[in-house]
Amino acid sequence: MSKSIKVLIIDDEKDFCYFVKKNLMRDGMFDVITATSGKYGIELAESEQPDIILLDLVMPDMFGSEVAAVLKEKADTANIPILYITALATDDDIGENEEKKTGNNHILPKPVRTKKLIETILNILRKP
Amino acid sequence: MTPPFSRKKSIFFIRMVVIITTAYFILFTPAVNKQLENWGYLFIVFYMLTNLLVARIPEKFFYDDKIFYGFLLSDSILLPAGIYFSGYVGSDLYLIYFLIVSLITISSRFKYLMINAIIFSCIYGWMLYQKGFLTGPLAVSYSIRIPFILATTMFYGYLITTRLKGKDRKIREVQEQYEQIVQATDVLMCIVNHDGNFLFANQKLVTFYGYLNKKNLLGSNFSGIYNGDKAEAEKALSYVKSVFQKNDMVQHESFNKHHDIWFSNTLSPIRDPSTGEVSAVCIISKDITNRIKEEKKLIDTVELLRKTRDQLIQKDKMAALGRMASGIAHEIRNPLEIIYMGVDYLEYNLPDDNPHIRKSIEKIFNAVNRTNNIIKNILSFSRQSEYKITQIPLISLLSNTLALANHTIRKNGVSVYREYDDEFLEIAGDRNMLEQVFLNLVNNAIDAMKDCKKKKLTVRAYKKLVTKIGYKSGYRRADFFSIGDEMIVVEISDTGKGIPEKAMPKIFEPFFTTKPTNEGTGLGLSLSHMIMDRLSGTIDVESRENQGTTFFIKLQPASRMPDLKKA
Repeated sequence: MSKSIKVLIIDDEKDFCYFVKKNLMRDGMFDVITATSGKYGIELAESEQPDIILLDLVMPDMFGSEVAAVLKEKADTANIPILYITALATDDDIGENEEKKTGNNHILPKPVRTKKLIETILNILRKP
Repeated sequence: MTPPFSRKKSIFFIRMVVIITTAYFILFTPAVNKQLENWGYLFIVFYMLTNLLVARIPEKFFYDDKIFYGFLLSDSILLPAGIYFSGYVGSDLYLIYFLIVSLITISSRFKYLMINAIIFSCIYGWMLYQKGFLTGPLAVSYSIRIPFILATTMFYGYLITTRLKGKDRKIREVQEQYEQIVQATDVLMCIVNHDGNFLFANQKLVTFYGYLNKKNLLGSNFSGIYNGDKAEAEKALSYVKSVFQKNDMVQHESFNKHHDIWFSNTLSPIRDPSTGEVSAVCIISKDITNRIKEEKKLIDTVELLRKTRDQLIQKDKMAALGRMASGIAHEIRNPLEIIYMGVDYLEYNLPDDNPHIRKSIEKIFNAVNRTNNIIKNILSFSRQSEYKITQIPLISLLSNTLALANHTIRKNGVSVYREYDDEFLEIAGDRNMLEQVFLNLVNNAIDAMKDCKKKKLTVRAYKKLVTKIGYKSGYRRADFFSIGDEMIVVEISDTGKGIPEKAMPKIFEPFFTTKPTNEGTGLGLSLSHMIMDRLSGTIDVESRENQGTTFFIKLQPASRMPDLKKA
């Protein structure tokens, strides 16, 4: 892969964003931008057009599902795949309704290690 | 009961008249025959002595007509005898006259009394005629005695027919009334003596115990009515004896096995009127089977309500804990994630050649993993993870579970017994969840037998019809099993140390454990309980300390859900 993969992280945990950015960028395979609120994340998604968005489910200003719904409605962000990374272990919290709104989504429960995270991202992007 | 002027008292009254009359003649009348006077004193003394004897005769004997009239007669004779002994009259005819009057009164009926009077009057008249008393100067004074006989007799006849006979009739009437009451009541009634022999029984009792008539029953004792059941007869007799001892009423309830009837028994003392001691016992037995049955129903219902309430509280607790667990999980997993990512970063950037650093990083990961596992366990409560109810062959599921536990089973030297009624039992459930439940129970069983000599694990599986109302089985819509339904039961039973009775109500509570702190999380059984609830099944336990514990897992048979896919 010649071009690096652009990843947008939307998560209110600053330290999480910091370490994920550090870990993903170490090999030069990923280009990472971070947003610590839902609103800012939507702005960045529009302006930066990332290849994939890592989205937290529970944030102070918006729920991850709400962010996903907004992105889905906008033509230029609708097709960006979303990977939820959530500390809520229950699959119910992501539920069927969200799936309808956001289309195909992927879930990775926290805590997750860097290796697994990279594998999952690559898997999602490899799909047609 | 005793009339104001009893028969006994009337006898004493007559005797008093005899003594006073005799004494009067001795003291105040000049005697014709002085030699006889001393005999008069002796007569009074002797007569008074007999009074002492008469006083000892119980009152009831005087109601025997023969005895009463016997006294009446003998005392009537003794009256003229007393006068004769006082030496007032020299003539033997005088004595004979009173003897005749007395003899006449033997009869207890007015008609016979009059016939007697006429016959004896004729005899007496003939005697007077023979002695020549009916002629001469004293003819009038002698002949007037004959109408006097008749008059006395008539007066006496009037007395017995109106007074005494009336009294007897009244007694008879009262007796009849009592008899009617006793026979008409709805209770079994009898009178028994000290040895439990029947002295009286009402018809109801006679027919209840299958006797043809009262005569067959009377004289027999308790062992007769209890079909030779010695223990029952002894028990009944002991109550009778306690009445004799306490001289007071005794009440108790008893169950008649042969008739399937409950009785409420009242044993009352019947006292001897003269001594006040208990002479017999009256037993009144009332059928209270219906009441007892209703009571039992009520107790059962209360018990069921209590159980349901406990379970509701338990459910509430679980739900609250689930909510809390999910909150905790979220709060803890976020920092855990940062630790993971941070350590990943450190691991990558630190020099590779220092084995201590590598080891330290590994230790940090281990600690995070452990924390995460605890969170995972707690989360099992709030997790609504996807489960699929499918048709599962039960025996293969049980075999799988035992295979998973095989290592622990062998390590602990436990012998496993499988008792399956049917090799083809099919249940409706989720394979993974049930495996978790069974494995948890098997592991618990092995743990419970660790320090026991006998280590026997029995796994049973059988079909059963629901017959009893219990937790989640009954008639309500919300019940998992209805009466008459088929269910499949799995029993997992050990010969371990058992569950202490105090711990029983708590074993399905989360975090409750009897195991040492580092061995159990206290989540296994509560999780199993929750899983069974979700699978429309139940889990129960029976345990005896130092003997073992059996868990009953009741499952839905696959036949109840025909649309199920085969797993």
